[in-house]
Amino acid sequence: MHDWAQIVRQRLANLALPDEDAAQVFDELAGHLEETHQSLRNEGLSEQGAVGRVLEGVGDWRVLQRKIELSREKEFTMTKRVGQFWFPAFVTLLLSMALLALIQIFGPNPWVTTATPRGWRFVAPVAVVYVSWLFTLPFIGALRAYLSKRAGAHPRVVFSSIVFPVLPYLAFFLVALPIAVILDDHMAHNIMIPAFFVGLCAWVIFPGAALLVGGWPVQHFASRHSGIDRTATN
Amino acid sequence: MIGIGVKKGTAELAILSILEEGPLHGYELARRIERQTRGALSFSLAALYPMLYRMEQRRWIRGAWEASSSGRRRRCYRLTPQGKKKLSPLRAEWSELFHALRRLTKASHA
Repeated sequence: MHDWAQIVRQRLANLALPDEDAAQVFDELAGHLEETHQSLRNEGLSEQGAVGRVLEGVGDWRVLQRKIELSREKEFTMTKRVGQFWFPAFVTLLLSMALLALIQIFGPNPWVTTATPRGWRFVAPVAVVYVSWLFTLPFIGALRAYLSKRAGAHPRVVFSSIVFPVLPYLAFFLVALPIAVILDDHMAHNIMIPAFFVGLCAWVIFPGAALLVGGWPVQHFASRHSGIDRTATN
Repeated sequence: MIGIGVKKGTAELAILSILEEGPLHGYELARRIERQTRGALSFSLAALYPMLYRMEQRRWIRGAWEASSSGRRRRCYRLTPQGKKKLSPLRAEWSELFHALRRLTKASHA
């Protein structure tokens, strides 16, 4: 008995669709071929004759592949980038900024006090808010990777999507700040250079790493999982 | 020779008309069309599924996986309200075209 699922997967191995959609197309076409084959056998054709007729009915597999890709192209060109990159990126950027604001409002209470001429004053050190926020970022990175991967994104797109929230800060530190230092006479350059590296680490390197700590295992696991799925159904 | 546009139009009308009778999976849909048109219209695999996917994208039909009594999973297509809306003008257009052609051929034979 012929394994039509395997035949379809082999012949349409280069089908340019996200894994999940491709798997559905393979299953559906395999089912069709199997029923056609069964029907021909019921009509009295030999096994070899029936298989030959089924394959003959398909014609050129490359044409079939191209037609399927074209039939879905419009949808994917319109929504692929949105689904794989922009939607996860903006949802999680919004979430990370909202969490930062929430931590500031409801987060750890100030624990450092300073004496002023008017009496004691409570100060929330940046670290209290910042470190708490940093701990939330792996979860946000994981969510972002999951959303991108679910939309069938390539690992490169998933990576870009994971680090998306730090990109505006990176642009600021690499472009806007140096320009400001050059153009603004009032900036104290001796203070700016150490501040530049502290800021770069605090808003780009550490958050980026935290996002990757959560996001990269999800991307890695999802890739392995989809690979296993494909092998299993083969 | 029948042009691609005409073929595509008749195929869409055929699929929508058959699905109006009830949900069907691709294989049965193709068989039903072939049977009901006495073989005048038949779909190859390369014609049927891209057409179904395109119509699904336009939201005229909706596909969903269902298990048959034999346990085999099949993707069944059903007409959506949008597809139903599309069917009436499509029928009217084709009916008008066929009447026009009939009148034309009758006139040329007379």
